[in-house]
Amino acid sequence: MQEPAQIVVDNISHLYRPPRGREVLALDAVSLEVRQSEFIALLGPSGCGKSTLLYLIGGFLPVEKGEIRVDGKAVAGPGPDRGIVFQHFALFPWKTVRGNVLYGLERQGMAKAEREKRAMDYIELVGLHGFEDSYPSQLSGGMKQRAAIARTLAFDPKILLMDEPFGALDAQTRGLMQMELLRIWQRTPKTVIFVTHDVQEAVLLSDRVAVMSARPGRIKTIVDTKFDKNDPDIFKNKTFVEKVDEIWNLVKDEAIKAQGKRSA
Amino acid sequence: MSIEVQTPRDGVPEILGRLAWTLIWGFARVFSIVALLAAWEILARSHTFTPFQLPALSAVLERIWSDAESGDLAINTALTLYRAMAGFLISAVGGVVVGMAMSRNAAANWFFDPIVSVGFPMPKIAFLPVVILWLGVYDTAKITIIVVDAIFPVIAATVIAIQGVERELIWSARNMGANNRQLLHQVILPAALPQIMTGLQVALPLSLIVAVVAEMLMGGYGLGGAMMQASRFANSTSVFAGIVEIAVIGYVLIKAMAIIRRRLLIWHPEANAPATA
Repeated sequence: MQEPAQIVVDNISHLYRPPRGREVLALDAVSLEVRQSEFIALLGPSGCGKSTLLYLIGGFLPVEKGEIRVDGKAVAGPGPDRGIVFQHFALFPWKTVRGNVLYGLERQGMAKAEREKRAMDYIELVGLHGFEDSYPSQLSGGMKQRAAIARTLAFDPKILLMDEPFGALDAQTRGLMQMELLRIWQRTPKTVIFVTHDVQEAVLLSDRVAVMSARPGRIKTIVDTKFDKNDPDIFKNKTFVEKVDEIWNLVKDEAIKAQGKRSA
Repeated sequence: MSIEVQTPRDGVPEILGRLAWTLIWGFARVFSIVALLAAWEILARSHTFTPFQLPALSAVLERIWSDAESGDLAINTALTLYRAMAGFLISAVGGVVVGMAMSRNAAANWFFDPIVSVGFPMPKIAFLPVVILWLGVYDTAKITIIVVDAIFPVIAATVIAIQGVERELIWSARNMGANNRQLLHQVILPAALPQIMTGLQVALPLSLIVAVVAEMLMGGYGLGGAMMQASRFANSTSVFAGIVEIAVIGYVLIKAMAIIRRRLLIWHPEANAPATA
């Protein structure tokens, strides 16, 4: 690698302690390096610890074993350099779309006129113009996720952490949102770590796909998925189909293993 | 983007028709109350009971009117409302503060949790003799017994509300740079507000109930005290007047609270739903 990695996950293990019952090893000695402006997907069956890894990088969960460094500094808590987008949006329901987007800018101490303008710019960027005064409860799922993405992009994090952001949306909305995300990412290039269990989504969006194994979570392989994705018929594109097939075969065994463990 | 709604131009018959529906629907909603009041009047006039056992509604309303003219009604209502609202407000603030402390601080939780568990289901009115021994029978004592009763539903609602705040909301706020104080005021409290409001909606009628009961048992001015006084003088009409007055006050308080709730929770999906309270 020519340039040093922006995010270094170094030998991370993590125990999940449920309120009741035995503790579970969620992540086992995971190492990963992510370069600046790279779009990487974490792909694996449910319960493989991919979200846990994302929360650790975000600083939302304490690092217990191993180390995570962002730009050379060990992660010790959440910070506005790493913006997160959750599957269930996590918008503040008592604030309008504009109020939600403004919140982070207020916390950064941005001047009023500047943050108002910036909020409107990002609301426009995600296509929510005209809905800035709506409350989240008045929006559809897709619109809520657009609002959540605008809120996170507005405070300009260098790194975008996305936790199955389209997982709660219907298939058509999901397809539109994937295209939209690619468009936004091309306009504001950031490092993106994208958690998903959808193989096509992973191949479509990312430069690399890290395939994770069933519990305890490990990174099984990393597949390079960087190729020209401007094909309007991308889903029939030969490279695309081959990549999906390759990754699906890798992930299939793990999904079956995860199923077996759950029903056992 | 806006949705154009086609409104047909209304002629006089349509407007009258709608007015009739509004009136019919308005009446239907209070039908059971009206029927009950009518039955009361008819039963009282039928000489099945003596006026001492059951004075007619019309006589009771006349008494309320004369009490209003003499100023007694205003004094008694003001005193009862003052005690009930003072007790309610202290319970509201105190209950939210204790509930917040219990949710955020292990020591506070360790200390208060057993007290709440034992105290909530217990009939707190049993402390009334103790309160009288310690604080006498005046406003301090009455407001104290109201607080002892009404604070528990507020504490319980606050604790449950704060426990139920989604961790993703808290993480989002942290992500955007909120410190502990901002997190509490700007995220946790607003997120917990719907359930805290529900606790307050339980505490409010409870405050009125305990205010009236305390007045009945401790005497003095106030609606409860006036009713006991009337009862001792075998003044049946005034006793029933007190019941009607308390019913009206309770109804107005509950309605006012429901309106405040809808105002405060304008963002909540329930704000778009038809009102039930």
